[in-house]
Amino acid sequence: MSAGTDNGARLNQFKNKGKDADELRRRRAEVNVELRRAKKDDHILKRRNVHSLLDEPTSPLQEKDPNPPHHWTVEEIVGGVNSENLDYKLQATQAARRLLSREKQPPIDSIIAAGLIPTFVSFLALSECPPIQFEAAWALTNIASGTSDQTSAVIDGGAIPAFISLVTSPHQHISEQAIWALGNIAGDGPSSRDLVISHGGVHSLLALLSAPDLSVFPPTYLRNITWTISNLCRNKNPPPPLEAVLQLLPALVRLLHHDDKEVLTDTCWAVSYLTDHTNERIEVVVQAGLVPRLVQLLACGELSIVTPALRSLGNIVTGTDEQTQCVLNAGALALFPSLLRHPKPNIQKEAAWTVSNITAGKDNQIQEVINAGLIPILVEILQQGDYKTQREAVWAVTNYTSGGTVDQVAYLVHCNVLEPLLNLLITKDSKIVLVILDAIYNILQMARKTGELEKLCLMIEELGGLDKIEALQSHDNEAVYKSSLNIIDTFFSDENDVEESVVPEAGGDCYAFHIPEEQSTFKF
Amino acid sequence: MELNDANLQTLTEFLRKTLDPDPTVRRPAEKFLESVEGNQNYPLLLLTLLEKSQDTVIRVCAAVTFKNYIKRNWRIVEDEPNKISDPDRTAVKANIVNLMLSSPEQIQKQLSDAISIIGREDFPQKWPDLLTEMVARFRSGDFHIINGVLRTAHSLFKRYRHEFKSNELWSEIKLVLDTFALPLTELFKATIELCQTHATDVNALKVLFSSLTLIAKLFYSLNFQDLPEFFEDNMETWMTNFHGLLTLDNKLLQTDDEEEAGLLELLKSQICDNAALYAQKYDEEFQPYLPRFVTAIWNLLVSTGQEVKYDLLVSNAIQFLASVCERPHYKHLFEDQNTLTSICEKVIVPNMEFRSADEEAFEDNSEEYIRRDLEGSDIDTRRRAACDLVRGLCKFFEGPVTAIFSGYVNSMLSEYAKNPRENWKHKDAAIYLVTSLASKAQTQKHGITQANELVNLTEFFVNHILPDLKSPNVNEFPVLKADAIKYVMIFRSQLPKEQLLQAVPLLITHLQAESTVEHTYAAHALERLFTMRGPNNATLITAAEMAPFTEQLLNNLFKALAFPGSAENEYIMKAIMRSFSLLQESIVPYIPTLIGQLTHKLLQVSKNPSKPHFNHYLFESLCLSVRITCKANPTTVSSFEEALFPVFTEILQNDVQEFLPYVFQVMSLLLEIHSNSIPASYMALFPHLLQPVLWERTGNIPPLVRLLQAYLEKGGETIARSAADKIPGLLGVFQKLIASKANDHQGFYLLNSIIEHMPPESLTQYRKQIFILLFQRLQSSKTTKFIKSFLVFVNLYCVKYGAIALQEIFDSIQPKMFGMVLEKIVIPEVQKVSGPVEKKICAVGITKVLTECPAMMDTEYTKLWTPLLQALIGLFELPEDDSIPDDEHFIDIEDTPGYQTAFSQLAFAGKKEHDPIGDAVGNPKILLAQSLHKLSTACPGRVPSMLSTSLNAEALQFLQGYLQAATVQLV
Repeated sequence: MSAGTDNGARLNQFKNKGKDADELRRRRAEVNVELRRAKKDDHILKRRNVHSLLDEPTSPLQEKDPNPPHHWTVEEIVGGVNSENLDYKLQATQAARRLLSREKQPPIDSIIAAGLIPTFVSFLALSECPPIQFEAAWALTNIASGTSDQTSAVIDGGAIPAFISLVTSPHQHISEQAIWALGNIAGDGPSSRDLVISHGGVHSLLALLSAPDLSVFPPTYLRNITWTISNLCRNKNPPPPLEAVLQLLPALVRLLHHDDKEVLTDTCWAVSYLTDHTNERIEVVVQAGLVPRLVQLLACGELSIVTPALRSLGNIVTGTDEQTQCVLNAGALALFPSLLRHPKPNIQKEAAWTVSNITAGKDNQIQEVINAGLIPILVEILQQGDYKTQREAVWAVTNYTSGGTVDQVAYLVHCNVLEPLLNLLITKDSKIVLVILDAIYNILQMARKTGELEKLCLMIEELGGLDKIEALQSHDNEAVYKSSLNIIDTFFSDENDVEESVVPEAGGDCYAFHIPEEQSTFKF
Repeated sequence: MELNDANLQTLTEFLRKTLDPDPTVRRPAEKFLESVEGNQNYPLLLLTLLEKSQDTVIRVCAAVTFKNYIKRNWRIVEDEPNKISDPDRTAVKANIVNLMLSSPEQIQKQLSDAISIIGREDFPQKWPDLLTEMVARFRSGDFHIINGVLRTAHSLFKRYRHEFKSNELWSEIKLVLDTFALPLTELFKATIELCQTHATDVNALKVLFSSLTLIAKLFYSLNFQDLPEFFEDNMETWMTNFHGLLTLDNKLLQTDDEEEAGLLELLKSQICDNAALYAQKYDEEFQPYLPRFVTAIWNLLVSTGQEVKYDLLVSNAIQFLASVCERPHYKHLFEDQNTLTSICEKVIVPNMEFRSADEEAFEDNSEEYIRRDLEGSDIDTRRRAACDLVRGLCKFFEGPVTAIFSGYVNSMLSEYAKNPRENWKHKDAAIYLVTSLASKAQTQKHGITQANELVNLTEFFVNHILPDLKSPNVNEFPVLKADAIKYVMIFRSQLPKEQLLQAVPLLITHLQAESTVEHTYAAHALERLFTMRGPNNATLITAAEMAPFTEQLLNNLFKALAFPGSAENEYIMKAIMRSFSLLQESIVPYIPTLIGQLTHKLLQVSKNPSKPHFNHYLFESLCLSVRITCKANPTTVSSFEEALFPVFTEILQNDVQEFLPYVFQVMSLLLEIHSNSIPASYMALFPHLLQPVLWERTGNIPPLVRLLQAYLEKGGETIARSAADKIPGLLGVFQKLIASKANDHQGFYLLNSIIEHMPPESLTQYRKQIFILLFQRLQSSKTTKFIKSFLVFVNLYCVKYGAIALQEIFDSIQPKMFGMVLEKIVIPEVQKVSGPVEKKICAVGITKVLTECPAMMDTEYTKLWTPLLQALIGLFELPEDDSIPDDEHFIDIEDTPGYQTAFSQLAFAGKKEHDPIGDAVGNPKILLAQSLHKLSTACPGRVPSMLSTSLNAEALQFLQGYLQAATVQLV
């Protein structure tokens, strides 16, 4: 950064904000409100256990029952679960579970309204009848997969501690169902998540993972554990308690070396959640030593893994220079040429966003970006990329110009960044226009230092940029208008206009020269 | 104010009076209304009047007054009283939507504006039901009401187009989308259906098409920040219908008016904007629809006429194509040779043609024409859009596009050749194609800097441009003449010098053309040619080469100023300035005439200065006349004074504010030419220059300070002798300036000149006060800029009055003051002083303190001796400390302070750098060595011992270097 030097000071003055590297780094959630459809590649928050229409092999009872299942009404279910007959209770619970597992419009609200949740929760404790434990767990899982209110109803029914006890059930399918239910509850939001944690959820899950060899578990079982853990890591405001994170991290590192695709995907998502916070939280993750493995996974070619792995690394580089360096040291940049040209626009965008946070760093980090050959690719994106990626590339360039050395900025200009950058000034996005103007200001400022200002001004004019900047002087957005005016005034006008400000009038022929009567002792 | 008939009556009367053409009736009525607007119920009285008054004029007047009242008062400013009572606010919000919707259009517009002003402050939090109330009206079926709602919505939502993304903004948009998007979509569909039902009813169609245009505008605002989920889901509905509307034509909606865009055009332009928005920002989602839009827009362009009313539509449509054709994945839509040819033929060429509207502008509105054609303020014109499209197409198809256009240029030129009188517009189009298409890159300073292969520029010049320039009748075909001149101007960097030299006398002749555009272009072209640089960085065209034409050039330039409409033509005045600067001493013989013409012009424009650029170049030309003439013969300065002072006096007397800074600069320039004496005419003016009213205007400060400095330099003695009573006033200016953080350096410039040039005895009684003032300012706000200037001044004082005088005056203000200043200011801060002259002053001053001030050797100040020496060596050897404390970043520093007045608004009134020490000290390092040597011989042993105890090793090494260079030794 040039802050502190005269030019830097002027720059800061004009922008009215002493930007430093930390402010240039942009975290993911600039805006919490979204206008767009929720992200398609985002991780699933809650899942319902929907069995196939015919049969479900996980249900041992099914095989015993020769009759085709008949549809129970909610009233019948209420009657059934309240009967004295355990078998009838079981059948009623199973019927409820079937209703809740139906593909379309499961009657979750009527089941809740019928007050069945506390009953099902009480069934979870019936260890003498594992089938009813299982059916109740399944039914509750599906209720918890609904809206926030529906999940809350399950929590209010006291399900959390009951499910946590079931995690250690000797019956693996019951344990699995309980873990699944906990995942749905934890996925609901920070407060539900923290309830699961405060009831000891983390401890019981980690106890399972303490097995010396993870391959003893059936794949689906391990996937469920991983997914639930990822939901325990999920959500902001507040983030999960630090203590829980510290307990979970070694397990995540271990899972990150497992070879199942879905386990890897969910683990990467978990890491991406944990890194989407302050630098202190990022530090904890970096300290766990999983950055090199994330970089390895970034190269795996599997979109479902690459997406969260890239997010995680992208989040980490929003941190301090040292944290960013850790990602660079793991060789991440070598993968970016292909990520920036990835067929999926979203991967391109995330990759460009990551680069933009790296170029917000020190000049040696900018140099690594150069050495990885990324600048021509950024220019290519600015020329013809998808708009969302272009946006990030613009940030990358602007950050680069604020922190880069004279040589680095010169290199940027030699890579023909100006033309596409100037063309984007007609973008219908005030913020991006302003960010581009900042970049242009920085580049011109740098050119002034090296005595190449005139040459650069010419280039900008030749590229039609001056016309565009001039046109922005009538932009509706005040910041854009001021910034363009400032560029024109500072670099493109040879006549200074007189600035006259209105000052109050004073009478008399001349000023009186006098010193005030009262005079204290001077002390400097 | 109660809501009663009497008050309504009073208000009606006063409103009526505000419409009176007689200001003595109107002003008091306006004052009265302002005086009562703070009363409760005032807005409600206005609303009542605009609704119920019998008199339509009063209703409209009340509506306008109401809107202005809302504009001034609705916003609640922190720390200021709430200017509208809460009950009034509530009542206004409860009634205004209804009122707006039930009012006739004139009143509706005012109320709609008022709603958006209120909305900006109160919506959504403090006006939660506004949207639902508005949406409910969609179902009214009454399109008068619906359009009122849409217009209001548009004024509420249009800020989404330019504001930055923020949680607050996006929450608001989300809320709007939730309540508004679906009803808007339904309304859109219903309106389109109604258009079909009423396809033959022109009045109904007009209303419906205004609704559609407003809906399309709302679509733009709501989709601007990001693609909302709702619109992504409903893209099919919107885009299919937009596409349908683009291709729709209805004879009933075509207008006869050639100028004003009709409803169809407005709607279609907005749809082009909407499509361009989606194509740029939401490409992934919009891709399936894009080719259809390209075809529709392309057809639209082919079938749209030349009339001005289509300009916006055509330029939006072309811009859409321009933005799409650059994208690699849409390249295929354009690459077919037939497509390219017809785009060139049917879209680009027709839109580059000289239209009758252009012809009218050329003749009757030349200023506007020049601004568009020369200065490129043609962003929204067809020609500009067409050029952008060519540039876009050239990205992938430069070869074919160039070939197509070369053919066109040739065929148009041959059309012209057949019958010049009839077909001159064909040649205009050909030249326009060449000037706009051959340029790959263009700048104001150099003209075209890269050209493509469209034509051979030199051949084209010889065959098609030169003949027009040479034609004996300069007033025939003025448009083609202007084109030819423009050609020379913009291809000047590409044309060989011989051809430029050939053009120069022809351009001089064209200064006499009657057409304003033509003689303006001639002046501008000459001005640009004169600024071209040749080898060795000298001007490309030399004064010697201009010698044969000098007289005619000067004559014609001044004659051109006599054309009606060109009396204050800035291009001509700039050409005059540039000619002076190029011709230098060759203008001397003409100066008597020239100065008469210039002062005459100055007198005229000073009556009502309206063209700042013209005036600026006029003063620059005056300065050049003075400098060039007096350089050869300084005594001629008095003849300039004779010519100029009467006009200057008038400007000063009439207080022509725009001109004062210029006058002060020219006067400084004149006064500085005098050898060391000051004429009485200047002295007579001196008291007036000290008037506070002049110094209150910030634009005057730098040139006035410079002028006073010139007074002091030339007349310090005279002031002391004959105007001693003005010294307090002079020092008063200094006091005023140092009180300001922005102007304190100017105060120091003045003070330094006072110290340097006034006889010491004339200042004796004020010296202590001066220092006390400086200390007070230092105590209250110690900015870096102030400290730098303060250090220079203190050291200059020391150089001038001696180190002992400095120490004594400090210590007389407060015991031990001298030591405190050295310790807290000089030693730690001297590293910050910048500028060679400033550093030299500090070096010499500090050397004197070190070696000529007994108190430094024998009192408690002695402990500061070595640190001060170390600081001085640091000043010599270390890089300048340019750090500024964080809290000073926001101080308005317009100038980095230097010893010199940095203000040089008039480039040709510039001032030489002044060094108050001058040759008296060649090398300050040697002076230090010699002075230390002298000191050490006066008190042997002391200096080496002080050095050895605490000077750091590096500094000592440097010092030894100085001693060696001066060939002296310390004893």
